[in-house]
Amino acid sequence: MLNSWKLKEIVLMSLFGVVFGIIYLLFIHLGNIWAGLIGPIAYEWMFGIWFIVSIICMHIIRKPGAAFLPETLAAIIEVMLGNAVGPRLILSGVIQGLGAEAAFAVTRYRHFNIFVFMLAGIGAAVFSFIYGYFVSGYAALDPSFVALMFTLRVLSGAIIAGIGGKYIGDALLATGSLRGYAIAKPAARDANA
Amino acid sequence: MRNLLHDMNPSIKFITVTIAMLGLAFFFNPWTPLLFFFSIIVLQLCCSRMDWKIWSLFMLPFAFGAFGYLWTTIVFAAETGGTVIWSAFGFDVTDEQWALALSLSFRVLAFSSLSLLFALTTDPVRFVMSLMQQLKLSPKLAYGVLVGYQFLPVLKDEFFQIQQAHRLRGAAVEKYWWQRLLGVRRIIIPMLAGAVRKAERAAFAMEARGFTGEPRKEYYQPVSLKLKDFGLASAILTLVIASSIAGAMLSA
Repeated sequence: MLNSWKLKEIVLMSLFGVVFGIIYLLFIHLGNIWAGLIGPIAYEWMFGIWFIVSIICMHIIRKPGAAFLPETLAAIIEVMLGNAVGPRLILSGVIQGLGAEAAFAVTRYRHFNIFVFMLAGIGAAVFSFIYGYFVSGYAALDPSFVALMFTLRVLSGAIIAGIGGKYIGDALLATGSLRGYAIAKPAARDANA
Repeated sequence: MRNLLHDMNPSIKFITVTIAMLGLAFFFNPWTPLLFFFSIIVLQLCCSRMDWKIWSLFMLPFAFGAFGYLWTTIVFAAETGGTVIWSAFGFDVTDEQWALALSLSFRVLAFSSLSLLFALTTDPVRFVMSLMQQLKLSPKLAYGVLVGYQFLPVLKDEFFQIQQAHRLRGAAVEKYWWQRLLGVRRIIIPMLAGAVRKAERAAFAMEARGFTGEPRKEYYQPVSLKLKDFGLASAILTLVIASSIAGAMLSA
């Protein structure tokens, strides 16, 4: 999978992983204090933040793996920075990355428009929720409360990660620093995206 | 003895901690996670040079989170069987609910202690080296991560630089934390643009010096894999099994 990747794309992913790793950690700590007040549902509406690096990197690089790998790298870097969520972050990073990757794989890496990005955000939300259901024991909660959590997470994935990721990617393209990447080459078949 | 956990092979430690965590997720009684939490603390007392001040500092936000779980599970519990033990604010709390709520919040504590065991005894660079050497992570990815990690102080400086540049040009100074949080939006784009350029330069420099990303047979700094790594791993997993059996017996 990595043979078609240029080194600069991999280093780019990793540096984005660092920037977003810090942001992710910041929000975990915010979320934790918040969660003390209103319980685990505190995380749900802002869950999309944790999926965003997948969408930004896929928007820029447009190669198979560009959603899964950066999320995983960001998680590894979060663990390297040292935090109390620890190694299980890598597992959740892998799962969230796979969720986002699934959406791009389903569309065969051909379309990179806002709908696919939102779908990727939803994919990450669904995958991470299934994992969270198991690890955090949501089975013990009232099904309607769990349904509310799920809806919030899916919406957050679609809006914060999908729309937000596209917005950041487009803003970056406007700075002109992405000239050597797939995002800057307008593909004829996806010109209207 | 007190270096045991610090010297443990990071990949083995990572796998052990992950398995232990997934194992604990199957238990819904309050005793299993609680016993495990204390056994991890005891393990750290005898096998590590833990800085307990830092440990408590990291643990504090998770104690908050655990409290959130406690009351959410009481208010929004799935089952309402069992006998009512007390009622407050119009909620009847049954013994089953109470046990479940305690279980989920102790689970948060147990997971955090396990994570801190990893985080506070593992050298980050050695962890990535070990991922590459023992778990066959692609060298391209491993060195990519290390480059990112080394850029951390540079990115930090850049963050302050951009912030100061904004102030110089008369951008509003954020007074409250939520304003600062929204202001991140204005900083993130220049930060990422800078990151793109740095990535490009770093990748060119690596390739110019002959980095191909091919897997190697030998490493400059090998991370060792010894018998005692497996010993320690099985000790931790034994703690999981012991606390789950003891927990099941205590709550029966």
